[in-house]
Amino acid sequence: MAKSQTQRVVFQPATYQGFQRGIHQIVAAVRPTLGPLPRIVALESTVSSSTMPEVLDNGGVIARRIIQIADRDADMGAMFLRHLLWHMHEKVGDGTATAAVMFQSIYDQGVRYIVAGGNAMQLRRFMETGMRVILDELSDMATRLEGKQKLAQVAESICYDPPLAKMLGEIFDIIGEYGRLETRSGRGRELEREYVEGMYWSGGVLSRQMIADHAKMRTDMENAAILISDLEIEDPRQLTPVLETTIKAGFQSLMMIVGKLSDSATAFLLSVSKDADKFRGIAVKAPQVTAADRAAALQDLAVLTGGRVLAKAAGFTPGSVKPQDLGQARRAWADRSHFGIVGGKGDPRALREHIATLRAAFEQTDEPGDRRNLRERIGKLMGGSATLWVGGATEMEIEARKELAKRTADALRGAIADGVLPGGGVSLLACRPALLHKLEQSTDPDERAAYRILIRALEAPIRTILTNAGHDASEVMAEIKGARPGHGFDVRSGQVVDVAQAGIFDSAGVQRQVIHSAVGGAALALTVDVLVHHKQPPQAMDTA
Amino acid sequence: MADTDTTSSEHTQLQDLVYALAPSPHFAQDGICFAARRSGLYRSDDGGANWRTTYDSLNLEAPLATTAVVVSPAFESDHSVLAGSQGGVLRSVDGGESWNVAVFPPPPPIVSALAISPDFIRDGTLFAGTVEDGVFRSADRGGRWSAWNFGLLDLSVLCVAISPNFAADETLFVGTETGVFRSTNGGRAWREVNFPTEYAPVISLALSPDYAEDGVLFAGTESRGLFRGADRGDTWEQIGEDAIQDSVNGIVLSPQFPARPEILVVLGTGLLVSRDGGPSWSGWQADLPTDHGLTCAAAPQGLDPDAPLLIGLVGGDVIRI
Repeated sequence: MAKSQTQRVVFQPATYQGFQRGIHQIVAAVRPTLGPLPRIVALESTVSSSTMPEVLDNGGVIARRIIQIADRDADMGAMFLRHLLWHMHEKVGDGTATAAVMFQSIYDQGVRYIVAGGNAMQLRRFMETGMRVILDELSDMATRLEGKQKLAQVAESICYDPPLAKMLGEIFDIIGEYGRLETRSGRGRELEREYVEGMYWSGGVLSRQMIADHAKMRTDMENAAILISDLEIEDPRQLTPVLETTIKAGFQSLMMIVGKLSDSATAFLLSVSKDADKFRGIAVKAPQVTAADRAAALQDLAVLTGGRVLAKAAGFTPGSVKPQDLGQARRAWADRSHFGIVGGKGDPRALREHIATLRAAFEQTDEPGDRRNLRERIGKLMGGSATLWVGGATEMEIEARKELAKRTADALRGAIADGVLPGGGVSLLACRPALLHKLEQSTDPDERAAYRILIRALEAPIRTILTNAGHDASEVMAEIKGARPGHGFDVRSGQVVDVAQAGIFDSAGVQRQVIHSAVGGAALALTVDVLVHHKQPPQAMDTA
Repeated sequence: MADTDTTSSEHTQLQDLVYALAPSPHFAQDGICFAARRSGLYRSDDGGANWRTTYDSLNLEAPLATTAVVVSPAFESDHSVLAGSQGGVLRSVDGGESWNVAVFPPPPPIVSALAISPDFIRDGTLFAGTVEDGVFRSADRGGRWSAWNFGLLDLSVLCVAISPNFAADETLFVGTETGVFRSTNGGRAWREVNFPTEYAPVISLALSPDYAEDGVLFAGTESRGLFRGADRGDTWEQIGEDAIQDSVNGIVLSPQFPARPEILVVLGTGLLVSRDGGPSWSGWQADLPTDHGLTCAAAPQGLDPDAPLLIGLVGGDVIRI
């Protein structure tokens, strides 16, 4: 059976040649996007030939869009790098073009060395040693990112859109690394932002008649009791113990978070809330994406408000509600699609411990979906959120800028967490002396080759930035080499400057990921010796 | 021994007490000081010898408990006084003769502390710590207030301290039931600092007058003594643990700190002073009444032994020593 699926096995030198062709194609597509004066890449629409091509300046997305290359040997190299870049994009949101050009430099130099008689496995081993040297150097150079001005500078080095960068600098100065930011299409042409106090979840009122303020289409309650549950209440009589418990506990308003409320139960709740000055009760839908998400949201609500989750699966019923099960909040609100809490009265120590636990889980996981969920949960609990309204002349412009804003926001989160480095490729150049020192200490030819390759590869990003901006890379590199440490070339002013003073920064987390992806990935790719093709080319499934 | 003058307390249903004292910036010349008391806000025009209520114009039916008070750094010219109460903030621009009620979003907060920007004359910025609603900020001299609690994971704010260099560093700290939080963007967002949670609540804070350079602050706790924060609150150490075992109701630093490393702490049972930045402590030189607890203090002319010191007491009296 295996024999029938295997059409062709490819050996050296065709393996390296094929891989190299594929890598060159991906890097050629991504390379123009690197630097503050990039060019963009247009991709033919996958929907219809009559629609506008997709215009992209993001290396990760560009690589993702290249789903197959006709040359099957080259396709394997291209897909190897594509996967690496997309994974990096998912994880840190930036740095893919930098990683791509470094990857290509290392791979090309490595192939030349191995073809000339070098040992691929030894080369890989020493490259990984060199990688650790670079990572240590970057860690030593990293500084903390604080203040809206510095945040805006880092944002600008990611998005090259000064108004957007300024806005994101202000937003992240307020919401912080984990803060919740929603990016929405604006109605005008400008950028606008709004800050929302408290936390909110999807799941609005279960009846339109529960909306008290018809002008704002929402209900606000003060000093409210919160029933935190996924209970499905069919019989109006089931509400009686909940309402009695609430009123006996001294509350005049109640927000019931439930899985379901029947029409008759809804009518009963509305009837007891007729005199809102005496008592108001509303029911909102428990947040639901998945069962796990709902359970997590209810748990967060319980910690926040000091209540207890009455889960259907645990056997709770409305009749089992006790006063201490009810959460409390200074304010609670709901509209047709969301409900929110301001000033939850849970134990602040428990809240801080809960957030610390979520943060630890966030740090420990690499899975992008889990990280996103955990970050959203932490963000919600931090006490506020921001909405960025992105305007523009056309829908296409708005969508492109929204995408840019999201990508920049992701990278900024990483920069706040991991600190920043001198930008414009300067931090990578500054790692060369440490590698040079290792090179001078070594007598092993494979080790020396590995450090030489990495020293040269560290120049690749800055050379590409210069070339993309229309400068003579060799000429400018000579200028930079003669300048003091920390100096680099500002392609917009056309001058050698102290990059940190000029506000040119890179995210330390992104740069570390660049090194991991480029060095680790290329070192691994160099050990690929044989390609095995299936009889039928694999179906290109991924068109995201 | 210094002279001791005592005012008579006005008895209400609850025992009166002094929550806060706010002397005029030109106290040495004008002798003006305000005292926030459970029975209202009082003003002295003679350096603390005699006091009169300032709420007459409000025609209140019952005493309005006043939990915090601040005066403008430019009081001499703008006569601005702000008083925190159970329900919001009152502001006066005539030294307390008449009052306006500030606008807060509902529900009405219980104000526990007020802080005023050192650059108030230019930025008009004030902060109100509240018992349940975190921190409110006003940028229009106290007219309108809005909550800014991003990252403030504990909304029970017990004290607020603002950087002397606020105009440049936009830094302030709050002490809460569970520790200390710092804002470096003018109170718009907060971050936890590494204050050990087990030593909270933090009920008093004081920043070094040279905070911009030395990054030093002090935190007084309800029952676990006094702490010195370095690196802008990133690291903390307990100081005076042998001497300070009571609640630290107030901390006053010399205006020349750290050049003159003098620290006065107001304990429930007395005053302690350190003149070496914390290693050694001694009782204040003057005799203090032993039948009333101490709640707060103000040292409008510094901590020289012969400078006046105003002390608020449980019972509502203010003494000057």
